Amino acid sequence: MTTARSFLLLVSLVPCVAACRRTSEARAAQVRAAEATRRQELTHRIAIADADPAKALPVAMWLMPSELREISGLALTPRGTVLTHDDNVARIYEIDPKTGILLKAFSLSGGRKGDFEAITIAGNDIYLLESKGKIFRFKEGADGEKVSYSGYDTGLGKECEFESMAYEADSSRLLLVCKKFLTKKAPHELLIYRLPLPLGDRSTISTLRVPIADVIGSNKWKNFHPSDINIDPITKNYVIIASREKGLVVVTPDGDVVRSEPLPGDHRQAEGVSITPDSILIVSDEANVKPAAITLYRWRQ
Amino acid sequence: MPVLKQLIDVITMKSDRPMRRLLAYYGILAVVVLVVAYFFPGVVQRIGAKGLGDASEGPTVLADALSASATSAVGFGPGGLGDVAITTVLILLGALALMLPVTWVYMSARPIPGHNQTVVQTLIILPLVVAGIVYIVQNSLALAFSLAGVVGAVRFRTTLRDTRDLVYIFLAIVVGFAAGVQSLAVGALISIVFNLVLFFTWRYDYGRNVLTPTASSQWAGPLHTLASPTGDHEIPDRDLVLSLTPEKAGALAARFERVRDTLGKKKKKPRYTSVLTVTTDNVPEAQKQVEEVLDRMTKRWDLDEVVTNTGKPSEIYYLTRLKKSIPRDVLLTAIHENADGIIASADLETGEPFDDKAATKG
Repeated sequence: MTTARSFLLLVSLVPCVAACRRTSEARAAQVRAAEATRRQELTHRIAIADADPAKALPVAMWLMPSELREISGLALTPRGTVLTHDDNVARIYEIDPKTGILLKAFSLSGGRKGDFEAITIAGNDIYLLESKGKIFRFKEGADGEKVSYSGYDTGLGKECEFESMAYEADSSRLLLVCKKFLTKKAPHELLIYRLPLPLGDRSTISTLRVPIADVIGSNKWKNFHPSDINIDPITKNYVIIASREKGLVVVTPDGDVVRSEPLPGDHRQAEGVSITPDSILIVSDEANVKPAAITLYRWRQ
Repeated sequence: MPVLKQLIDVITMKSDRPMRRLLAYYGILAVVVLVVAYFFPGVVQRIGAKGLGDASEGPTVLADALSASATSAVGFGPGGLGDVAITTVLILLGALALMLPVTWVYMSARPIPGHNQTVVQTLIILPLVVAGIVYIVQNSLALAFSLAGVVGAVRFRTTLRDTRDLVYIFLAIVVGFAAGVQSLAVGALISIVFNLVLFFTWRYDYGRNVLTPTASSQWAGPLHTLASPTGDHEIPDRDLVLSLTPEKAGALAARFERVRDTLGKKKKKPRYTSVLTVTTDNVPEAQKQVEEVLDRMTKRWDLDEVVTNTGKPSEIYYLTRLKKSIPRDVLLTAIHENADGIIASADLETGEPFDDKAATKG
């Protein structure tokens, strides 16, 4: 083959390759089509679930991409989407839970790595929690953006290992639930730390203690290791899940246990929980035997 | 491959210089990657720098595990079966594209002629296997332990002729790892830098020990023999003989023949006692400058041979007989001063007639 022919062959390949290019318009059209179809499907499934409330059927289950194999906390945005993140990298993903569309992703500047366990939104600020009690505050970023952040060490890492954090808007406080006591003599109770915003004064931290026997209730659990907490937008109660016990507990802000029951469905490693104002329970699962996923259920008070 | 060769020929204007050809290959590879990145940005992100993971991909439709529609076809490892297949093929092609120039460098930039074909083939195959293994294992600790068990059951031990080959094998493993973890950008940079560094060390004979026979001094031994008053012809350095191709051996024999003619017959006082080797990129100018010094500092001298190299400095050999008052170092210093910046190196191999009697007494 002569040089000229080789060149012609290569040049002719370029338009062929170009024809296969997946344009952003095509991608957007695909997303819009999927969105419309899935909204219809979800409405249909919710109707089925409402018809048989005893079964606690999932109304949707979205499988996460490989970057979210270790999906952790969930935080509901005012737009109805959820923010979530990976366990090891401070990269935040926005997902529309009702259509299963990953909308965008942004990271903390410097590609910060750590053991990130929970996320919550307080007004315009987003808070990300590390298991040792360090909290990072930042603003929401655009797709692909790297946002600046500030860090605050609660100093609670010596007492507890954390996996749960939520924002209680009524009292303007962050709630941190102790998953595992690191002190020699672990109290037999569910311990919730309340940190008033803005963060900075450790002396204002208060606690809510619930006897573990009340939390366990009639279940066969030996203990309760919270993996996430969130606020029911209607009742303002604390909804707490535990990955190890595969349990769900609802506690009032005064510490009374309202509900204590197994999680609906089959959750191998439930790491995040959120409840929408239109009564949808969202549970995120880290990849275990099954792939990482977000599952939606009908939430009944 | 012929197409690639022709492309490289066009870019380098049919130059034989290995460095130019290597750079041309990387240039072509960069163009291909840019074209693919433009048309399929996701592909490059998937295999090039997945570890970085910060590129924006826009809205993505996640798979629905409850629906039986086409979008729900997910179930294996990090993505759908199609995704896995495409990623695997891309990873293997990427590793292959990065290892090809490494094999070229391995075959051409060697201090001694000849290379091990098994190593060349290993350099191509090994990264593919390593990439496959790493891609399967990825983040699974269980799979990693299983792999350790399987590999532990298979023994593969081999002795490489040249310890430098081991470095190439390590590079093959590194590129395989980079491909396996879908970070071929890292593998590409490592292989490019590796090739360039290797070329420069070869080109400038970096780290050469004056006591070690090199390309320029390999015939100092035979010269001793030729200059020996007893005329005993010993077998030159065994490694040198083994490393020579028939053509090289023929050329060397011809050179010995010339030297013998120049030195004169047996038991006569040799006309020349040393060989001056000069390496340079500018042969005519270097000759002019060096010969000026030789005129001043030697009893007699003769231009023996000019070896023109591609990709590294050319070599000029002079047969010389130094004046008794001029030591070796003075001559070399004068040459360096006179031809400053023109010559790359100058070396004088003295071939004083071997004193058999003195050696016996000693």
